[in-house]
Amino acid sequence: MDFFLGGLWRGLELLAGLDRQVYGIAWLSLRVSLSAVILAGIPAVPLGLFIAQKTFPAKKVVVVILNTLLALPTVVVGLIIYGLLSRQGPLGFMDMLYTPGAMVLAQAVLAFPLICALTVAAITTLDARVMPTALTLGATTSQAAWAVLKEARFALLAAMAAGFGRVVTEVGAAIMVGGNIKGYTRTLTTAIALETAQGDFAQGMALGIILLLIALGVNLVSFLMQSRWS
Amino acid sequence: MQTAPLYKLQNVEKLHQGRLVLKLPELELTPGQVTVISGPNGAGKTTLLNLLAFLTMPDKGRLEYAGREVRPGPGLTELRRQATLVAQDAYLFNSSVAKNLQYGLNLRGLEPGESQARLRRVLETVGLAGFAERKARQLSGGESQRVALARALALEPKVLLLDEPFVNLDPESEAVFERVIQDLPGQGCSVILVTHGREQARRLAGRELRLEAGRLV
Repeated sequence: MDFFLGGLWRGLELLAGLDRQVYGIAWLSLRVSLSAVILAGIPAVPLGLFIAQKTFPAKKVVVVILNTLLALPTVVVGLIIYGLLSRQGPLGFMDMLYTPGAMVLAQAVLAFPLICALTVAAITTLDARVMPTALTLGATTSQAAWAVLKEARFALLAAMAAGFGRVVTEVGAAIMVGGNIKGYTRTLTTAIALETAQGDFAQGMALGIILLLIALGVNLVSFLMQSRWS
Repeated sequence: MQTAPLYKLQNVEKLHQGRLVLKLPELELTPGQVTVISGPNGAGKTTLLNLLAFLTMPDKGRLEYAGREVRPGPGLTELRRQATLVAQDAYLFNSSVAKNLQYGLNLRGLEPGESQARLRRVLETVGLAGFAERKARQLSGGESQRVALARALALEPKVLLLDEPFVNLDPESEAVFERVIQDLPGQGCSVILVTHGREQARRLAGRELRLEAGRLV
């Protein structure tokens, strides 16, 4: 217990001392994960809206595939993106492997099915009268679709927050395509794994606390926005 | 001189999940009057209103509005801006009463001054002056329906379509609806409403139609 509490205390000291390295890692994590959620959300939300609102033959199959992808192992995503971005891979010419860009890409792939599936659920459970109401008030189809998204804004915000939660806490894909390079691609999760393995429990604890604070902060922002909108 | 029909339906059929729910060999609706469509549940009344509001298209036959054939496509938006539907238990956006009323006005690009003036005027018409900043979701059922009516009136449509407007209304809201329905033809707006109530149908109708099992009787 002393080991644990001692580690926790020294972790808090590192945070209070504004340790440059610790905050640099946290800032990179935040940037990578937020970029990944935005990158995933741009196609995932419209696709989720389309799946929820349109009737097409393979709709149930698409939903089942989407729900299956929710359990996509992070290391598998890391492996696939690694294969695509490595020098021999089809996207090797982009020279992206072991860069923050590669981590954004891998995390976006992870966040995409979650945001899309939650968007489908949000739109499916939304009142079916929104679309015809907007149309009869003179909206074009795309304006009515926007009205649907606005009415589902609380659930969509929760979907984005869930997507962020999924990617900011993952370690497998980040370490495989980012390489855990100090000062360049080392994120909170990869750093925690490394520091703990190297026996620096306090450093790992400090990073873990920041990770929890980030998760808390994102949920707090989401909560405040929902309160304001409602 | 004979007035040109507002709507003309010829051999119109509408299916729902493969079942024929509306079959109208010939129907003409004239402008400037209150047309009441009555009939039992499942008679196809709401389906007909949705056709007249251009929210759905016939599976067979021809629908004309103001002498022009209605076809699917981007032109429907312009037609919908002339015929506004107030649904039974209408949906109000999760925002203020004012924002609900401004939605359609903003889509039409109205000046803020004109938009505000219309907003005030229609809220007064439905007896909800001072309700602009209230949250739409916190209103009573009757007040919500009156906001939905005001939202449609603000758009100054050529045709107002009302689906069961008197269901679950308090006497005050019912009186507001009746007054507005009676006044609109004089202001150049045709009214087509669906109702169960035979008493109201007789009192309000310039013309009454009865639908049973998807057919006019």
